[in-house]
Amino acid sequence: MSTLTEIESGIENLLAQPPYGVDPIQRHGAVLELLKKELAYGCERNARLRNYFEHWPIDFRVADRISDLPYLTVGVFKANPPLALVEDSEIKRTLSSSATTGQVPSRVVLDAATARRMTKAIVKLIRDFIGPARRPYLVIDTPNNFSQQAELGARGAAVQSLGSFATEVVCCLQAGHEGDATLDLDRLVACAANWKDAEVLVYGFTYVIWTQFVQPLQRQGISLHLPNVRVLHSGGWKRLQQQAVTREVFNHSVASVLGCSVDRIVDYYGMVENVGVVYPDCVHGNKHVPAFADVIVRDPLTLQPVMAGQRGLIQVCSVLPMSFPGFLLLTEDMAEVIDYDGCPCGRRGISFRFTARVPKAEARGCGNLDSSRILPTQGSSGA
Amino acid sequence: MNVSVHAVASPDEITRAGQQLRENDRRQEIPLPVILDIFGQWADALADQSFRAESAVTFLRLWLRRGNLEPIVARELGPNALDGDWEQEGRARFRAFPLGTVGHWPAGNVEIQPILSMTCALLGGNACLVRVPSRMVSITARVMEKLAEVDRTRALLDRIFMVTFDHSRIDLHTAMAQSVDGAMIWGGAEAVSQVRALPFPHWARLAVFGPRISAAAMDAQTWGSESERSSWCRRIARDVWQFDQQACSSPQTLFLERGSGCDPLEFVEHLKKAFEDENRQHPRQQIEPALTSAISLARASWLLGDTLNHAVFPASPDWTILLGMGTEIPNPTQGRTLSVLVVDDLVKVIAKFDGTVQTLGLGIQDDQKEEGLAHVAGRNGVDRIVKLGRMHVFSSPWDGMELIRPMVRLVRHIGSQE
Repeated sequence: MSTLTEIESGIENLLAQPPYGVDPIQRHGAVLELLKKELAYGCERNARLRNYFEHWPIDFRVADRISDLPYLTVGVFKANPPLALVEDSEIKRTLSSSATTGQVPSRVVLDAATARRMTKAIVKLIRDFIGPARRPYLVIDTPNNFSQQAELGARGAAVQSLGSFATEVVCCLQAGHEGDATLDLDRLVACAANWKDAEVLVYGFTYVIWTQFVQPLQRQGISLHLPNVRVLHSGGWKRLQQQAVTREVFNHSVASVLGCSVDRIVDYYGMVENVGVVYPDCVHGNKHVPAFADVIVRDPLTLQPVMAGQRGLIQVCSVLPMSFPGFLLLTEDMAEVIDYDGCPCGRRGISFRFTARVPKAEARGCGNLDSSRILPTQGSSGA
Repeated sequence: MNVSVHAVASPDEITRAGQQLRENDRRQEIPLPVILDIFGQWADALADQSFRAESAVTFLRLWLRRGNLEPIVARELGPNALDGDWEQEGRARFRAFPLGTVGHWPAGNVEIQPILSMTCALLGGNACLVRVPSRMVSITARVMEKLAEVDRTRALLDRIFMVTFDHSRIDLHTAMAQSVDGAMIWGGAEAVSQVRALPFPHWARLAVFGPRISAAAMDAQTWGSESERSSWCRRIARDVWQFDQQACSSPQTLFLERGSGCDPLEFVEHLKKAFEDENRQHPRQQIEPALTSAISLARASWLLGDTLNHAVFPASPDWTILLGMGTEIPNPTQGRTLSVLVVDDLVKVIAKFDGTVQTLGLGIQDDQKEEGLAHVAGRNGVDRIVKLGRMHVFSSPWDGMELIRPMVRLVRHIGSQE
């Protein structure tokens, strides 16, 4: 069996497990062994990656904790061309993050096998939260944000990943003449009248739901009377925090315009670099890690894993990507570890809560330059 | 006025303090010998056990000594200034007089900078309105308590008002700016730009220090010397550690001139040992998560950038050495992340500096070669050229500027009977 076949077989085995039912120690062992093989595979495929791994303070081949394995930071995926483990000809799709204005987006490349695993994994995770049934799928976005393209943004990728649950897909926003989006109210009201008490899946980016859906409906005093919807939303709270919209206000407002109860609304955390893994909130408000992944929350001072009840930088770990080195990634997000097992919802392993994006470092020192005066590094090579 | 750092909430508090400072200053001139006397006593008072662990206060004591300040005053204001006399020049004579009230906006990275900045303006006879960054309030108040113990006549204390407020309070910054005749501004690009843009009176003089970065350079004879290598590495570590590499005088890059038989990897091993030792002695107590992210990204980007690049770092973000080749200073990460670049010719590297580099720390065996490098560095915007291990030693001039003279007026007198 080739290395790649062996790894792919290992991934399939983990994907076949109940996503949140595996004993944490067993899961750690299985994920650790597979990750070590994937790191070795990454070394074979990419000499620069090998250079990084070989300089890591701990040899990954003898590591006995996932937290000791070499991790990248998500910032390395802002490089152009994107960091890859496959030839250009094998790339089927490039996913890009939703960078805010002026920021460089992260980009990751998917080959056919990774894309297939991504879809399979997400369906498995979401099914655990909303059940397996297919149902009408209301997308709070414009159709052009997720049409079939070689390069897909985070919003489009999230919308598409839920397509497997759909009997029909309805986008309730329409692109305006100046690139803005407006609510297609007639279509929305007609669909709601048609769906009535049926199970309906709703997805949108958090701030899009608020600005393009909730606020227009509230202004017109409309409730859609869809008591059996499941609302999934992601993309973060930063823009809503700027408008002083709390999670509670958001949930009650969404529930009010849809005519459902608050517990039908699920926030999930995810990022394009962590393909195939999303972290929906359980009924206790905690996020969980599936059998084929792990999350380590690291103390910024030591970079060691924190204890339950403490906060730190989130590192995501996944065995799924084989087209790019997204196995172990230090994110720019902070979380609090609730516990390392025993969430009352029954899902096994670590439970955590997202707390914030890493705040921008306060420019304190007289050594903080306007970078425009610094010449870019050129021609760096070994000593 | 007492000596505490006032947490102000309204512009009126600052305006009132500014008026009071102006009245106190106009009421009585303070002779320079008196200032130097009080400073000397203050230095003695700071020998207190409670400051033993504060290396910044140790430096402040050295700064305040008459033996240190007299030569600076004499050079900047003239030798007669120490006696309060005029300097004769032909038929004219000159003497320095204070601007009035000087506002101080220190950077947030150097614990004693509010006080250092203030002492420079006091030496010019000025009153001082000082903004103390929030994280420095405690140390500043403790140091000022020692001044209160020795300045029993309040000769200096009545000329000082210290305030603290959130950096985003533009209204309070504005009130400060409108209350002063001069300003000493220290900090990073963003902070300096914001303060400079405040509505100062049209007569106000501004002295801006920073933002700058610093670099270090060694010739092969020095870094290749087996007997001296460890000592030089300790000096470099010391320069990197102070102020968590966030000061304008902190080296971000060390250039090693290539030499036959000298192995950069061997040198980096010694540097690693020095960094480990320094880290044991001065471990970080806290870190901003953004800096941890930046350090992690710098390590990865460096090693992914070129298969020939090398790096040494622990699992923690405590310190990082990035080794490679290149003649330009990489974008600084700070947080004890030193780029070590091997180059063929130091002169060519230094000739590329663009005014960004404030201090060049040197380890050069040949005096003539060092003189040549110093000249090239001066020509290319470097303001301080010092031995490695002394990159942070604060003295005049700083950033190419004198420290007392920018906040005084030089008055010229030609006798009416001439």
